[in-house]
Amino acid sequence: MTGNTIIELIDVEKHFRSFVALSNFSLDLKEGEFFSLVGPSGCGKTTALRIIAGFQEPTSGVIRIGGQDMRAIPANRRPTNMVFQSYAIFPHLNVADNVGFGLAKSGLSRAERKQRIGEALEMVALDGLQRRNAHELSGGQRQRVALARALVMRPKVLLLDEPLSALDKNMRESMQFELRRLQQSIGITFVMVTHDQYEAMTMSDRIGVMFDGRLEQVDAPSALYAFPANPKVASFIGGMNFLPATLLNERNATLSIEIAGLGSLDIGMNPGVTRHERDLLVGLRPEQLYIGRDAPTDYDVTAQGTVTDIAFYGESVRYHVQINGVPEPVSVSVPNYFHTVDFKRGDAVWIAAQGASVIDLGTRSDNEPTKQERKV
Amino acid sequence: MTLESDRSGVFLAMPATVYVGLLVAAPLGVLVMYSFWTQTYVDIDRTFTWENYRAAFSDPLVRQLLVRSVWMAGLVTLLTVLLAYPIAYFVAFRARRKMLWLLLITIPFWISYLLRVFAWKLILGFNGLLNSGLASLGLINEPLDFLLYNELAVIITLAHAWAPFAILPIYVSLQKIDRSLLEAATDLGCGKLGRFLRVTLPLTVPGIIASCLIIFIPTVGDYVTPALVGGSDGKMVANLIQVYFGSANNWPLGATLSLMTMVSVGAVAISFVALVRGAGKAIR
Ligand SMILES: Nc1ncnc2c1ncn2[C@@H]1O[C@H](COP(=O)(O)OP(=O)(O)O)[C@@H](O)[C@H]1O
Ligand SMILES: [Mg+2]
Repeated sequence: MTGNTIIELIDVEKHFRSFVALSNFSLDLKEGEFFSLVGPSGCGKTTALRIIAGFQEPTSGVIRIGGQDMRAIPANRRPTNMVFQSYAIFPHLNVADNVGFGLAKSGLSRAERKQRIGEALEMVALDGLQRRNAHELSGGQRQRVALARALVMRPKVLLLDEPLSALDKNMRESMQFELRRLQQSIGITFVMVTHDQYEAMTMSDRIGVMFDGRLEQVDAPSALYAFPANPKVASFIGGMNFLPATLLNERNATLSIEIAGLGSLDIGMNPGVTRHERDLLVGLRPEQLYIGRDAPTDYDVTAQGTVTDIAFYGESVRYHVQINGVPEPVSVSVPNYFHTVDFKRGDAVWIAAQGASVIDLGTRSDNEPTKQERKV
Repeated sequence: MTLESDRSGVFLAMPATVYVGLLVAAPLGVLVMYSFWTQTYVDIDRTFTWENYRAAFSDPLVRQLLVRSVWMAGLVTLLTVLLAYPIAYFVAFRARRKMLWLLLITIPFWISYLLRVFAWKLILGFNGLLNSGLASLGLINEPLDFLLYNELAVIITLAHAWAPFAILPIYVSLQKIDRSLLEAATDLGCGKLGRFLRVTLPLTVPGIIASCLIIFIPTVGDYVTPALVGGSDGKMVANLIQVYFGSANNWPLGATLSLMTMVSVGAVAISFVALVRGAGKAIR
């Protein structure tokens, strides 16, 4: 499905006066992939997208689309089209004229344009609404018009800035599938910006995780989940318990470690981090820990603790468990499976983990997680 | 709706009703009545007659002045809006200190209208600023005499006086345009001109219409400017109305002329709006 590089960003920097919005930003996007830029609000995602579209010039760095240097090419002549966060539907035009806006200079005849507009509207399931006025559309319909208006141009790359954030939850979930299906059926590259990591995970072939203008890690969703490059990424993609550990032994791709309060076990080496001291940091996903009244037998490490807090999520329940020798309560998430788990605050429980689900995050002093990241 | 809220609605509308009644409807009613009466030296003959209208319609001077007034007001409107649009555009899209610019634009209002007209008289006069300036530069030997006391002087003076009224509505409609619409147009392949013609201009049509009406309607009836800088060529219908209500002491005919002017202005304004609307629909 993915092939040649379509967009290259090399060492792109963007400064707004003294404020650095993007720094050392390098990225390769492949033909036909669904790529998401994800990160907290204000980290520079929109800026990156606007630089690709040509609405903003980078302070320095190179942008190539299809091998061609884009620095001298203005936004109106780039082979990209954008779905704006506000959708930017022209209020003085009806649906057909909005969608056909970019075809004016295409040299197509009236009939051909009408045909293309119809096809684009069909793609987004809006065929028949050609004559509707812009102000007569619902939020979801506006979004589809914006999508059709961009797709009718047959761009090499479609840029989407938080395309779903203005929709309500149910609509958003069905649009996630629909966007993904659309991208796969037309096969062009989609670059989507979102602050919602779950949205990025469910829709994308690859994700770039951004913090403070930097691209921290670019990988497939499953790889980001399994091998986050640092605690920031680890806690942004899903929840994470951070625990201090000591490196006992290292051979091939296996580390023998001792987690304070839990015990010693073998874990897989994370290729994306470095270990130059014995003091390590490891991560444990709340959903990959065992919790029960009895000690399990087939786990690598087990420990006894006390439930200090309970959060009910509907499809899952999250317990905070204080374990002797572990600095902070460990968070454990359990699927709400036939209501079989039901602990009370103060209950004594067993916690257990497998080596395969413990994530190596490298030398502890390199990446002391901040207070906020420690929260799960 | 309950009876209670119906009654409070009547109360709430009272000030507006009284205002419109006393200051608009009553004077208009008086004007309409007068237009069907006859002046007999110092008295008014209150028998109903169409004579005033017949006289006004058959008087070539009235027709000429009415046509000239509408024509000149139209020119003033066109000129003012054409000059105002780039200024409003600059303030809305380019200027850093918008408030300062808006304040500067309103500066002409800080002095009386009469003084501004006099100022133009000083600038355009036979020995005025423009002539003496050009003469001292050696560009002309004789003072130019086509500057003052004609239609041109009236148009220049009115265009200057009304500029802020044109700039502000256009500025507001430009300011309201969501900037992402302009980016969307660019994204869809528009150059700067295409973007202006296909997005910016259509979205500012309401502001342009407002500006046109705000300028056209009062300038048709303006009489200070033509009286002071218009000479005999630059006279407008309001100057004639003033004469009938003043020195000629013929209120009924003055009232008739006023009403005819009102109807003409209304007709022109309504056809203008209809025309622009229609054109807008046709372009799509
Ligand atoms: N035109 C601009 N001038 C100054 N600062 C800007 C401009 N555009 C964006 N920024 C700043 O750059 C940072 C990144 O913005 P943005 O790319 O919109 O973030 P995101 O889309 O990730 O929420 C923000 O702190 C924002 O305030
Ligand atoms: Mg953004």
